[in-house]
Amino acid sequence: MKKPQDTGHSPPSGEISQLTEHLFRQEAGKLVSVLTGIFGIDRLQLAEDVVQEALIRALQTWPYYGIPNNPAAWLTQTAKNLALDLIRREKLFRDKQPEIVATTEQWSVDSSPDDSPLFDTEIKDGHLRLMFACCHPLMVEEEQTVLALKTLCGFSAAEIAKAFLATEAAIAKRLTRARQKIRELRIPFEIPSGEELAIRLDGVLQTLYLLFNEGYKASSGASLVREELCHEAIRLALLLAEHPAGNRPRIHALIALMLLNTARFPTRTDTDGNILRLKEQDRSRWDRAMIARGMFHLLQSAEGDEVSDYHLQAGIAACHCAAKDYESTDWPQILSLYNRLVEFDDSPVVALNRAVAVANVDGPTAGIDAVKAIRNRAKLSSYYLLYAVLGELEAQLDHLQTAADHFRISLKLTEIKSEKMFLSKRLQACEERTAKGTLNSKPRIDANRRE
Amino acid sequence: MRLVFGRVTQTRNSCPKAGSSFVVLLKQRKSSTFKHQPKNIMSTQNENGYMLLFRGTDLRKGLSAEELQKVTDDWMAWFKRLTEQGKALAGQPLEREGKIVSGKDRIVSDGPFAESKESIAGYILLQAATLDEAVKIAKECPGLDYGISVEVRLVDQQIGRGFAVSV
Repeated sequence: MKKPQDTGHSPPSGEISQLTEHLFRQEAGKLVSVLTGIFGIDRLQLAEDVVQEALIRALQTWPYYGIPNNPAAWLTQTAKNLALDLIRREKLFRDKQPEIVATTEQWSVDSSPDDSPLFDTEIKDGHLRLMFACCHPLMVEEEQTVLALKTLCGFSAAEIAKAFLATEAAIAKRLTRARQKIRELRIPFEIPSGEELAIRLDGVLQTLYLLFNEGYKASSGASLVREELCHEAIRLALLLAEHPAGNRPRIHALIALMLLNTARFPTRTDTDGNILRLKEQDRSRWDRAMIARGMFHLLQSAEGDEVSDYHLQAGIAACHCAAKDYESTDWPQILSLYNRLVEFDDSPVVALNRAVAVANVDGPTAGIDAVKAIRNRAKLSSYYLLYAVLGELEAQLDHLQTAADHFRISLKLTEIKSEKMFLSKRLQACEERTAKGTLNSKPRIDANRRE
Repeated sequence: MRLVFGRVTQTRNSCPKAGSSFVVLLKQRKSSTFKHQPKNIMSTQNENGYMLLFRGTDLRKGLSAEELQKVTDDWMAWFKRLTEQGKALAGQPLEREGKIVSGKDRIVSDGPFAESKESIAGYILLQAATLDEAVKIAKECPGLDYGISVEVRLVDQQIGRGFAVSV
């Protein structure tokens, strides 16, 4: 172990005694990518293990000597040393050894890695290569997202399990299968080029979108982990957009859509975790800086004449973000975007969202008609939000009995506590209004009798 | 797969290497970390020296990066607090692998094993009034939840005194 006086560590009594949030997790993602470049993608697990070991070294050293001046560089150097050591020991690498050692030596020689542009490019390329490998079309969706979260984002199987409402064992199994598939199918560790690039890029965007939705969905997992998924999806998308290979209008559209939705994340529930509807949300708590960033990427996405479903979704999110209150929301614009979106995406969920826009433009009856007109509506028959939407619309028409019936069905279809509470409240409101209505109408009935 | 990491003999910057020498109280180090040097243990009448030995270089499997960071942060804060309170006189991590010298033939063997529950990962030298107080401090160790155990040992000062009295 190195001597305390030449470490560049600040002593524990110094001012900085807390690490930057998520430092370990994010550095782990970077380092796994870089080490994969060295060990080969068929030895992904080895790269993950070496990185884990580097983090453990930090845990065992930093408490006594304080945080190093450049923690990221420290971790990189430690991982590098561990990797080199392993390469020297492992017979498996014997043939490749001189080549590997030479590459590793280049990482950082005299300057710290963070100051070295060469190394920075190396990390970014590695990250992108791994991204393309994880999102390879031969991998199925669930493998893609899980593997990306594990290797690129540095989440543990237990954390992923929490986000996906799965068991840790199930996630671990999925990860093992994914790594195995990479080996067996010889999935390349490279950034595709030429015609392949555009197709493969779409695959990556799709995975990032899934990742984001997984986090954004109100219905799954512990809320903190979910929010992290959203931030990770954004981070990876930004990395991709920064690279010449990834800098396309549609990725900016995806980033815009993610930022504009995440900006509203904290206001979606009250302090007790109850769901708040858009009209109930405190807009002053929306993250204005994030909205501005979203709008910036939306502008960038407008370059060229390409329109993707990400563009349309980002446009819808932008309409919400731009409205100073619920009443001034530009619903006609939102509806026109949904009208185009259903052409891209025939998912009944999109059509259901469109119906809500219709109701806001043309009134609840038109909204109900739009719901009835959803082409593959049968697919929604066990989707709690279908009945929640119908309940809302019927309630607006004062069809309180019908509304209550819908809310009751909806309640049966979700197991999530916050959703159950929300729906119970809506149901209760209907019942109270029904009771009040009966009460108010009583004198009238009496009057009628008198007549 | 278990990894066995050994030592690396050279590095070119100041980052840690998986090797090199470590000396426990055999060599005095210049370090701003320590407010007191070990010799101070003897100087306080009502305080004794206690050694907290952290055992277990084999942390619970599958710890996430976030968890590792949290333990690092907590441990850092813990050691800082103990140092500021004057409770911790010294503390250092130990490198995983070293040599074991044994027997009259001075046989030098490798060890301890790189990852084991028994292997000592580091120590803190405490100044505390009683064993109870030292144990109470040991119970605060942030590593306990993750597979580390703490051995609390009194640094024996009685032998010296006893000898002195009998003379």
